[in-house]
Amino acid sequence: MSLDELEAQLRPAFLAALAGDEAAYRSFLDAISMRLRGSLQRMLARAGRPDPSEAEDVLQETLLALHLSRHTYEPSSPVTAWAHAIARYKLVDHLRRTGRHVGNLPLDDEAYRLAAPESAAVDAHLDLSRALGAVPERTRRLIDHVKLQGASVRDAARDVGMTEIAAKVAIHRGLRAMARFLSRSESDKP
Amino acid sequence: MKTDELISLLSAGNRQVDTARLRRMTWLAGLAALVLTAAIVVMTIGARRDLSQAMLTLPVIAKFVFGASVAAISLTLFQRSLRPGLPTRRLLPLVAIPIGLVGAWAALTLFQAPPEQRTMLIVGRHWVDCLVYVPLFALCPLAILASLARHGAPVDRGLTSLLAGLASAGLAAVAYALHCPDDTVAFLATWYTAAVLIAAAFATVALPRLLRW
Repeated sequence: MSLDELEAQLRPAFLAALAGDEAAYRSFLDAISMRLRGSLQRMLARAGRPDPSEAEDVLQETLLALHLSRHTYEPSSPVTAWAHAIARYKLVDHLRRTGRHVGNLPLDDEAYRLAAPESAAVDAHLDLSRALGAVPERTRRLIDHVKLQGASVRDAARDVGMTEIAAKVAIHRGLRAMARFLSRSESDKP
Repeated sequence: MKTDELISLLSAGNRQVDTARLRRMTWLAGLAALVLTAAIVVMTIGARRDLSQAMLTLPVIAKFVFGASVAAISLTLFQRSLRPGLPTRRLLPLVAIPIGLVGAWAALTLFQAPPEQRTMLIVGRHWVDCLVYVPLFALCPLAILASLARHGAPVDRGLTSLLAGLASAGLAAVAYALHCPDDTVAFLATWYTAAVLIAAAFATVALPRLLRW
């Protein structure tokens, strides 16, 4: 699929997601993560790190960043360029944090255009699970309900004794805490 | 955690998002920073005594317009730089427009002035004040814009820092013009420009570390 076709498919989905459509958001995240997985694996391999688990880690961190930066999307601009710019930022940050020089990494847009989508998810390292440790206990239970058991936020909220609105706010704060944890350098992490 | 689980979690947490808020917040922050900086100028070094008459003279109007246009152009680009994927770096020359116009105007006035007056027109009386106060007062808007930048997603932190510095210097220039007693266009073109560049250089060095996300 060319980048233009991808854009034509993703932009309406993302605009609907911004209006609050959960299913459209899910399909956007599924499609963009396939694309980003391909380009991240390719770029990391060229940087001399062919371990696909590492690409999966950066992908997860990128997805979290996309989610928390939805309000920075300019609706008249290409959503693929927006997502790619965030992925590139997170990749460079990841390489710096993990102590390798960024040097002449091919982070150009061409690498992105050429990358084939990769649908096979790989097990990530433990980064995101460790980041969950930075989240308060009750929010963690909420997150576990939603992600593992696929419960709706409303059901998960009832199980831990919160209102749905409070649960959404708690999840949002939890995700922010996880993103902050991930962007810290290794040596600062508990 | 599997990527698929993360996607479930993120989509379950989805809600309506306002993409225009960042723009509104930027202008609001700029306005608030201007009012605050002007208040600090008036309370510390004070406004010039003849402000009400001087406000209507061309060189003083030029000072306000110069600072305001540097600030407005830089703030617009600053806001863009908080949105990933928008090409903003190549719009940077826009900031040079007010600086170039004032420079050309200054060259014209110097050309028309008698040669023995030219040095005086440029140097003025208080050029050191201008070079010290404008970058110093720019710290106030800079702090406000830096905290705003953390609400965005600056993928080019050097660019965001530079634009925050330029915008802050523009706002500080407007505020300092309430005090500045040197009323020649040559002074404006020389020292205000230099002061803006000092503040921008400081921001470019100091800010990027603070903007990591």
